[in-house]
Amino acid sequence: MSAYSVNISVEAPVENQIQEITYDGQEIYTPPLTMSEHLTKLAQKIDFAKCGPEELNKEITEIDKNEDEAEQSTAPPLWPWDSVRNKLRNALTEVSVLADVLSIAKEKHYMVLDPVPQEPPELKPMVQVYARKKALAGAASVLLSGADRLKNLQAEALRNRTTPDFHIELLRLRQNFRLKKVSNSIVGDLSYRTAGSKFAQNGTFEVTKAEEDGDSPLSPPCSPNASLSNKPTSALRVTVPSELQGVAFIKVFFQKDQDSLTAAQLNLPSSSTANAIPDMYWQPKLEAAQNVLFCKELFNQLAKDAVQLQSPIPHIVVGNQIIASVLPGIQLVIGLCHSGVSTDGKTAVVPPSSNGHDHVLEHSLHQLLRELHHKNTHHPFPHPSSGPIGPSKRRRLAGPCAVDREELMQMTQSETMLEQVIKQAQHINLRDRTLFVLDRLAKDIKDPLITSHWNALNSPTQSCVKINIVAHMYDTICRTSLLIHVNETTLKCITRDGRVIHMSYESQELRDFIMCQVYLHQMTAVQNLAKCMGWQCLANSAQLGVGAVEPFGNASSCVLASPTGERLISVRCEPKSGVHVTIAQSPRKDFFPGQLVKERKWENLGGSFKEVRWDKMEGKNFLNKMELLMASLTSS
Amino acid sequence: MGVTILLSYPVPENKTGPQTVDLLIKRIGALGAVQSGQFLVDCETFSSGPTMGGPPRTVHVLHNSEQPAAVFALLESPGPPPKTVPLVADGLFDLLMLKMSSIYASKKQTRMEARGTRFEIADFLVKIGTVTMSSNFKGVLVEVEYRPCFIAGNCWELMREFMQSFLGSVVQNTPPPYFQVHNRLNDVYQPLDTIQQYLDHFASYRKVAGL
Repeated sequence: MSAYSVNISVEAPVENQIQEITYDGQEIYTPPLTMSEHLTKLAQKIDFAKCGPEELNKEITEIDKNEDEAEQSTAPPLWPWDSVRNKLRNALTEVSVLADVLSIAKEKHYMVLDPVPQEPPELKPMVQVYARKKALAGAASVLLSGADRLKNLQAEALRNRTTPDFHIELLRLRQNFRLKKVSNSIVGDLSYRTAGSKFAQNGTFEVTKAEEDGDSPLSPPCSPNASLSNKPTSALRVTVPSELQGVAFIKVFFQKDQDSLTAAQLNLPSSSTANAIPDMYWQPKLEAAQNVLFCKELFNQLAKDAVQLQSPIPHIVVGNQIIASVLPGIQLVIGLCHSGVSTDGKTAVVPPSSNGHDHVLEHSLHQLLRELHHKNTHHPFPHPSSGPIGPSKRRRLAGPCAVDREELMQMTQSETMLEQVIKQAQHINLRDRTLFVLDRLAKDIKDPLITSHWNALNSPTQSCVKINIVAHMYDTICRTSLLIHVNETTLKCITRDGRVIHMSYESQELRDFIMCQVYLHQMTAVQNLAKCMGWQCLANSAQLGVGAVEPFGNASSCVLASPTGERLISVRCEPKSGVHVTIAQSPRKDFFPGQLVKERKWENLGGSFKEVRWDKMEGKNFLNKMELLMASLTSS
Repeated sequence: MGVTILLSYPVPENKTGPQTVDLLIKRIGALGAVQSGQFLVDCETFSSGPTMGGPPRTVHVLHNSEQPAAVFALLESPGPPPKTVPLVADGLFDLLMLKMSSIYASKKQTRMEARGTRFEIADFLVKIGTVTMSSNFKGVLVEVEYRPCFIAGNCWELMREFMQSFLGSVVQNTPPPYFQVHNRLNDVYQPLDTIQQYLDHFASYRKVAGL
């Protein structure tokens, strides 16, 4: 390229040696060795004599080397395997001699080995004695030191019978918690990370030997001969981090909406176990620390949810309390109570209404957090095992089932812990209200008996109750049944005739509804009773349009006729004012022929209805009175 | 998934495709429809190479934005008797087809798309879409879905009346040819039926020489 560059040619070096260069410059190379020649060349390099022990064969190798060199120098073109053959022959000779000697020594058939008598060595008795004495002394010292050590250990074990061994304690600790040796200290982990928690707080504790009083608690473990401690405690001491010390629990209770803005700092007076014995047995100490960590994580998660959720009445997070509104007028308070060893100088404020906190909700909170942990670790396995891990089974089936966009959107929505707890709280509240209303009604209304059977198995957000309305002694005549589903904020009532009524959480609605059902029951019961007694129902109306307008529900009425047709009974049930019964007689008693109506036959048209003084009527309850009335009218 | 009828709206001589679409949108807007997003149905065709042996088979892979998690595939094998095998699969099926590119080669120039807006009126869902084949306009497809019902025979009359109200006489009085075979009028309607209707229309559009 440029003027200063020089062309360089690169050649491989010549492989074959040059034998001769002719006068015209041509080089004649020695032909390369054939395979057999190459092999013989390599074989000649093997020195068979070097395989044996060096001292014995040194002379032989030297001799052999000389022989080799001599042979090589004299006749290289001789048969190349000659040296190999000679060496092998020598080896064979030696081996046969060895075999012969061995057979003589073993068999003793034709030749025996006879020892040659030798002169006995000169005895020096004193030297022997001294030598033996020294040897025995050495052995004795070893044995004595071992025995001393064993004696010491046994004496110590006898003294320390109350204190268990450090290592056995450590083994038991290791069965419950994960331990790790870091440089020269033992560190353990009491967090829930292996169970699926993603909480950032550290849960490491340190394990040390229980030292005597006055020593620093963080000295590394030393030899097994540990010093005793006077208290009857374990040989281990665990040091938990300062923020996990003490006892903590979550407290959940309901609060009426008096003054929601006075968010008092829920600082429980430190409990009696706060000033714990420093050298407590490690198991309860570690369990308490783990509980503190769990409660902290739970509260942290709930606080995060409370801040992120958007609800009509926003949730308040103050200090160690979360206040969420469950129903208008009722609030749910979730507090984290941590009575640590180091109390700040805060005065304990008495919490507003802390009589009876809800254990069920606290337990559900714990369960919800455990469920969260479980979901973090246990992913649903895909069925072709080559499928991706992560999506739930429903999501995986969404493809082959061609689900809509709306269903996919629903799959992505999930409820936070706080939402679930609020739903459960709402349900508990509504269930209590319903219970109260039904019990009150059952107590107030004596005439038809109202019984309520609650389902034994319920879900945290739904309960069912079956209500039966019967009259005492007339349960075969008529029975009205209702089924009420209690959800979180609504009630759904299903009547026997298939009507479904949705009610809100106001208890007045339920009360009114049950009252209407009671009076409907009375009406139905009267008609059934009339059938039994032989009376005929001439007319009935469940929603009567005549008469005064009722504040709730409608009046109902029926007209009954006696078997002979002479008597009529009219019953009118009003949910507000009760029952009115009137009777009439068919041939009028008070018929007087007047100017217009002259003939006697018009008396059969029947008289006017006269009200019965129901409170003076004989009979235990309404149906009983009706039965007696019908009986008396039939006979007279 | 309610019963869905797919109709090809013929573009009048003096109008272009977008103008027709605007006209239909105005008509459906006058009925009180509410626009609720876009939709896309696309179809890609793969045909088997000579390594498979026998007459070449085609696989149509379709996607519908109404079922975003699903991929529909229809295999047409011409060998006697000619049959079509449908498959509804997860989204990973696309990747599977990519892996099989040596056996099933994709014909990129025959990729068809129907894209447009979707409208909701009461219980109906109306989609007015433009069909394009590699950016060449092919036609206008109108899809009408009646959500509460999933047996075509029960609601055909209702749907016909509704469609005639804004599409006019384009709508025939007899059900479309797709529903007249195999007693489909009395079968439960599946999302796969929508896709097969789309495929039939796409096939007829492909046969029409370029627009």
